[in-house]
Amino acid sequence: MNGIFGAVFLLSALLFLIFDPDGFLGALLAGGQKAATLSLSLLAVYCVWLGFFKVLEKSGLAGNLSRRMLPLARRLFRSDDPAALGDACGNLSANLLGLPGAPTPLGIRAAERFCAANNFYAADMLFVLNATSLQLLPATVIAMRLAAGSSAPADIFLPTLLSTLLSSALGVLLLSLTSRRKRRRKR
Amino acid sequence: MKFLSLLIPLLFLLVFSYALRRKVRLYDAFTEGVKDAAPLILTLFPFLAAILMLSELFEQSGLSAMLASVLSPALRALGIPAEIAKLVLLKPFSGSGSTALLGEIFSSYGADSYIARCACVAYGSGETVFYISAVYFARTKRKKLLKPIMISLTANFAAVVFGCFLCRFL
Repeated sequence: MNGIFGAVFLLSALLFLIFDPDGFLGALLAGGQKAATLSLSLLAVYCVWLGFFKVLEKSGLAGNLSRRMLPLARRLFRSDDPAALGDACGNLSANLLGLPGAPTPLGIRAAERFCAANNFYAADMLFVLNATSLQLLPATVIAMRLAAGSSAPADIFLPTLLSTLLSSALGVLLLSLTSRRKRRRKR
Repeated sequence: MKFLSLLIPLLFLLVFSYALRRKVRLYDAFTEGVKDAAPLILTLFPFLAAILMLSELFEQSGLSAMLASVLSPALRALGIPAEIAKLVLLKPFSGSGSTALLGEIFSSYGADSYIARCACVAYGSGETVFYISAVYFARTKRKKLLKPIMISLTANFAAVVFGCFLCRFL
């Protein structure tokens, strides 16, 4: 991340220096402004979902749900930690349902738990699954097309679904092929 | 679409009524959960700020447009229309930026055009990889993120190529 940050930052700063030196600070401030407003709206989103998830957890439903997904999750993440796997399953389900903002808090907690147990493979796998998009119904895109006057706003559903399935499958495959299996179980 | 708007209220209704039957103290549980929201935002904030500043620099400096024009012949060879090259490049950095770009593509080419449909698939099949890597690893000490980031970018890119191909028939 340090390399990417440095490279993109320096190249952009250089371009600003050559073409538009006055725009540089403005662009940085615009980013900071976005971060400030985004964290406020994320705070609102996390209040809703963290409250909801605590109720879900206390009711015992979360446990039931993740127990059903456990055999699959155990193999996918190469982990035996029920708490971390439960969070990861919650993250994946919230992603599949397309609940806006809900996957993130669970995903962060799962990654934290996986890394605390030194299971970096699992944290990477969770990240790859999230970063290749798991959403089954591209609701935002369909709404935007509808607003733009499309005659068949939902006809991108099938190609999007197929290609997002491909990206996730490819991501999982690449990660599991490039990681040695030795790390399996504890360590 | 009707189903989708029902989903969230239904989910809350089902879970809360089930929790009530299991004698969960709703108010206490809910507030206990919300308590974690503010600390979570505080840990995320530095990473959010850095990534959003970076994506702003990337776009406003013209670097993304420059890269897009350099790469567009190669992308075209893979079947990706040159008009969406910028979207493909911006998507890993910024969700709001790529949403704005998608809207622009709709208004300049029409929402039903082949280009717009490819753009939808490019937008929908991947995620904001850099943003997600910053957020998901915010509470860990994991530093070696190059491999998972590269894998995600590769997988998403392959999905865009595949999606543009599919858009010709479907």
